[in-house]
Amino acid sequence: MGQTERLDEEFAAKLKRYRLNRDEHKRICGLIGREPQGVEWALFSALWSEHCSYKSSRVHLKNLYNTSPRVLQAFGENAGVVDLGDGERVAFKIESHNHPSYIEPYQGAATGVGGILRDIFTMGARPIASANYLCFGRPEAERMEKLVDGVVRGIGGYGNAVGVPTVTGQTEFHESYDRNILVNAMAVGLFRPGEKVFLSKAKGPGNLVVYAGAKTGRDGVHGASMASESFGKDSAAKRPTVQIGDPFFEKLLIESCLEVMAEDLVVAIQDMGAAGLTSSSFEMASKGGVGFVMHLDRVPLRDSTLTPEDILLSESQERMLMVVEPSKLQRVQEVFARWGLEAVAIGEVIPDRKMKLYWHGQLLTEIDPDLLTEHAPKYERPFEVWSPRSRVPQAQVAVPIEASIAERELERVLTSPQGCSREFIYRQYDAHVGAATVADCEDSVGVLRLKDSGRGLGVVLGCRPQVMRQDARDGGFDAIAYPALELAAKGFEPLAVTDCLNFGNPERVEVMSSFVAALDGMNELCRILETPIISGNVSFYNETEGRNITSTPSTGLVGLRPDVLKVPKSAFSSSGREVFLLRLPQLMSGGAYRELRGQEPACAGQLAARPFAGFLRALTQVARDEKVLATRVVGKFGLAYALAKMVSRSRVGVRIGRGGFEAARHTLAAGALFHEVFYEVILETSASPSEFRSLVMRQLAAHSPVDLFEMVHLGKTEGSALLIEGLLNVEAHKLEAWSQAGWTNAFENLKLPQSYGEA
Amino acid sequence: MAIYKFGVRVMPRPEVLDTQGRAVEETLKREGRKVQAVRVGRFVELEVQAGDEAQATQEAQTIAESLLCNSLIETFAIEKRG
Amino acid sequence: MARVGVLRFPGTNCDRDVFEAIGHAGAEAIWLWHADLFDAKAFDALVLPGGFSYGDYLRSGALAARAVAMKSVREAADRGTPILGICNGFQILCESGLLPGALTRNAGLRFRDQWVELEKVGSQSPFGARLSSGARLRVPIAHADGRYMVNDETLKALQDGQQIWLRYTENPNGSRHAIAGVTNRKGNVAGLMPHPERAFHAWMGGEDGRKILDLWD
Repeated sequence: MGQTERLDEEFAAKLKRYRLNRDEHKRICGLIGREPQGVEWALFSALWSEHCSYKSSRVHLKNLYNTSPRVLQAFGENAGVVDLGDGERVAFKIESHNHPSYIEPYQGAATGVGGILRDIFTMGARPIASANYLCFGRPEAERMEKLVDGVVRGIGGYGNAVGVPTVTGQTEFHESYDRNILVNAMAVGLFRPGEKVFLSKAKGPGNLVVYAGAKTGRDGVHGASMASESFGKDSAAKRPTVQIGDPFFEKLLIESCLEVMAEDLVVAIQDMGAAGLTSSSFEMASKGGVGFVMHLDRVPLRDSTLTPEDILLSESQERMLMVVEPSKLQRVQEVFARWGLEAVAIGEVIPDRKMKLYWHGQLLTEIDPDLLTEHAPKYERPFEVWSPRSRVPQAQVAVPIEASIAERELERVLTSPQGCSREFIYRQYDAHVGAATVADCEDSVGVLRLKDSGRGLGVVLGCRPQVMRQDARDGGFDAIAYPALELAAKGFEPLAVTDCLNFGNPERVEVMSSFVAALDGMNELCRILETPIISGNVSFYNETEGRNITSTPSTGLVGLRPDVLKVPKSAFSSSGREVFLLRLPQLMSGGAYRELRGQEPACAGQLAARPFAGFLRALTQVARDEKVLATRVVGKFGLAYALAKMVSRSRVGVRIGRGGFEAARHTLAAGALFHEVFYEVILETSASPSEFRSLVMRQLAAHSPVDLFEMVHLGKTEGSALLIEGLLNVEAHKLEAWSQAGWTNAFENLKLPQSYGEA
Repeated sequence: MAIYKFGVRVMPRPEVLDTQGRAVEETLKREGRKVQAVRVGRFVELEVQAGDEAQATQEAQTIAESLLCNSLIETFAIEKRG
Repeated sequence: MARVGVLRFPGTNCDRDVFEAIGHAGAEAIWLWHADLFDAKAFDALVLPGGFSYGDYLRSGALAARAVAMKSVREAADRGTPILGICNGFQILCESGLLPGALTRNAGLRFRDQWVELEKVGSQSPFGARLSSGARLRVPIAHADGRYMVNDETLKALQDGQQIWLRYTENPNGSRHAIAGVTNRKGNVAGLMPHPERAFHAWMGGEDGRKILDLWD
């Protein structure tokens, strides 16, 4: 081999090690006017990774609807902030931790929770709720039981210990996640009246750059760039050191950070997340239009053998970077010390836009931070314009079911992984710490009481992968519409959205096309609803051995309601009440039931934002009426499944007259039990049928054209069975047993603890 | 078949953060104990049924690798006992 | 107004919840810091709230039991001051020897969050003293290490000494004799695994917790 070839091979190996391509290398040389040297390779590698730079998604994300009179802070900070009025504000965000959770499920999920909590309290908000959106493969897929167990334990282990209640969640199963699970964690934090919002923008030359929290170890070095790659067969071999989360340390960090912020001792603050010290310092300086001098040898280390490059890239958990005025350093250190933590000045802010990194007095690099942040490449990945998918004539959408097999099919649905109970999961989460929880994972919306105003804050997650598989644009629309409707059905006005865009390899046209279509669907509805998307992240390269996951844009929504006293439940409350169905039929889908039967997706109709917005607003007002006792949005597996869930939880039965059921299904073939109508809601009310009708008509008239809606009187609560005349008659305890058995059949070793007698 | 006894000592990998060790170390230091460093692992006693000692050791090794120890974050050592 | 000291250890996370509940119950709550001694005579009662002091590392409550403030807690216990440990606070009182027994990993080996029904048994505790024996309460639990363990001899002593305070009507964690709460021999120190501060208002799903934190109205 000649020398040139050898050099070229070395160069190729270097590019591979730092996960940069030749064009990006050329771009770097152009920007800095020379070859990158030493730690500069690592800096560009980290900050130009997909994970940090959003290089494949930025051109699309900039179109997102992200303003409203309520938005105080949208993208660009650690989390979005929304004004609730009365001096109360919330910060919230959802983020992925997919790759680390597949490698080491407990620590991956735990550090995912820890990271998103830091994004919240770094802004000065006390975390008050967390939620998680999980997608697993088929139960029989390799390692799946261990992955489910580890992820759930990890989320609980971290969230419970740190003292933030987990109030809602969503869990999906599908073969496309067999080798690439999704773990998305959301956190919500509250600013009480008078509490200040802190940002990451560095200011004030002469101010100190202060490192606080845990010491730096080898954890997750190169983690950010690894998260920006597809999984191959050798993923096991190129694991970085697993990041270990310590919720105890995080709790100390929360208290000490909130304390220094309450005393107004910090100018700017950001947590060290992906790409650790590199991303936090460069982003803080770049946003502030200033530079930093940093002495890497002053960073507290857990392992004295770390090199400057390791220190820059380490993803050790529970660390913060702050800008502090010199006169306030001592007080900052006292506060941290009281909580048993270190705060060390490692550098200072300088007026020039230069990052000067030193190692024992020797200058390692001097570089403009904007080159690594603002000037990161932006790719316009090829995509195709979306056209509606899976459309069939309406009559072909639903699967008709004979009365003779209706019960057996309901059992099949309730015992399937998609239909069965999630109790095993949420029982392991502390849903009540904080003493503000009104409704938890047993209900479809998590509800917290805001201490100062007594109002209710609703938290809910969205995105139904099955709808994404049917049509990405519909799926994006539905990722907003469905959770927004869940909020409305409990009387909450949706305020804003956070999203976590989990997609496959963006270099593939079909993946990028679904990305653009889904964003388009989300964006259209957000604009009409005036619920801006204010924070989130993008997780590309969810691809293993060439196989991409279902495109999954998960969402988190928060909503507001004036009180918490009469929030409708999600199960029937008592016998002798009227049961209605309210709906805006736009799209009929064979839905999850067709998928369960192994049939191709099929749907008819179109989703439209404007009528939906009217329906949503009317429903919000209806649900605030104290005569509405229980509500449930009809979702996967359609009306029969939703009714079964409302019966099995509370053991309060319902009798649906044949006429009522057929009226509810009239547009479709007789006996169709499980198809899905976008969108419909079941309501239980203590009002008489005529009283209820006039309540609904009043609200509909106030909010939208009445003729698009349908209202069906389904029947009455009575007894303890789900009874649909002429079709089904199943006792509540049997429904519950099926639902539990479904979980146990899927995961025989993951058992819900029972009662233990005298012991 | 005979019974062979083993002890399996599982420790956090040196490069991995030992959260328990850190908390115990801090507490002891606060009490004024002359302690430099603390690491917390766990100790598992196994009684393995096997034809001979080599087989038993192999089995203990497999048990440690497959369940007792998570090689991503822990290491283990096996000692023969009695 | 009664003065109630609320102890905070590193990792305590129900401190604010308990602090507020004491206020609702009509007393003045006062923070006490783990690293400081306090005047045991200055408080009408003490509460050790739940959480994960020291991350539950080594054994739940073991590291907090060695905190400086526990010297003052011990002094207050000797003086007969009513002292209540909730969840992790109960674990700390057991680890410090102020209450008998130990709290070990749940029989199901997992964290468990749910509402449970409790039955009042012993009548020695000043907390919930107005409840008659056999009274039933609905209060949530949230713990991984709540399985109360004692040997036969101690169990007998607890029974004879009226020290079994609360029992689960359906045992959620495998506790010996379905015990949810106990007192010391004198009765002034009590501990329970469920969280009364999480059952204080109708919107929480129940108000029975008020019947336990009822010393001061």
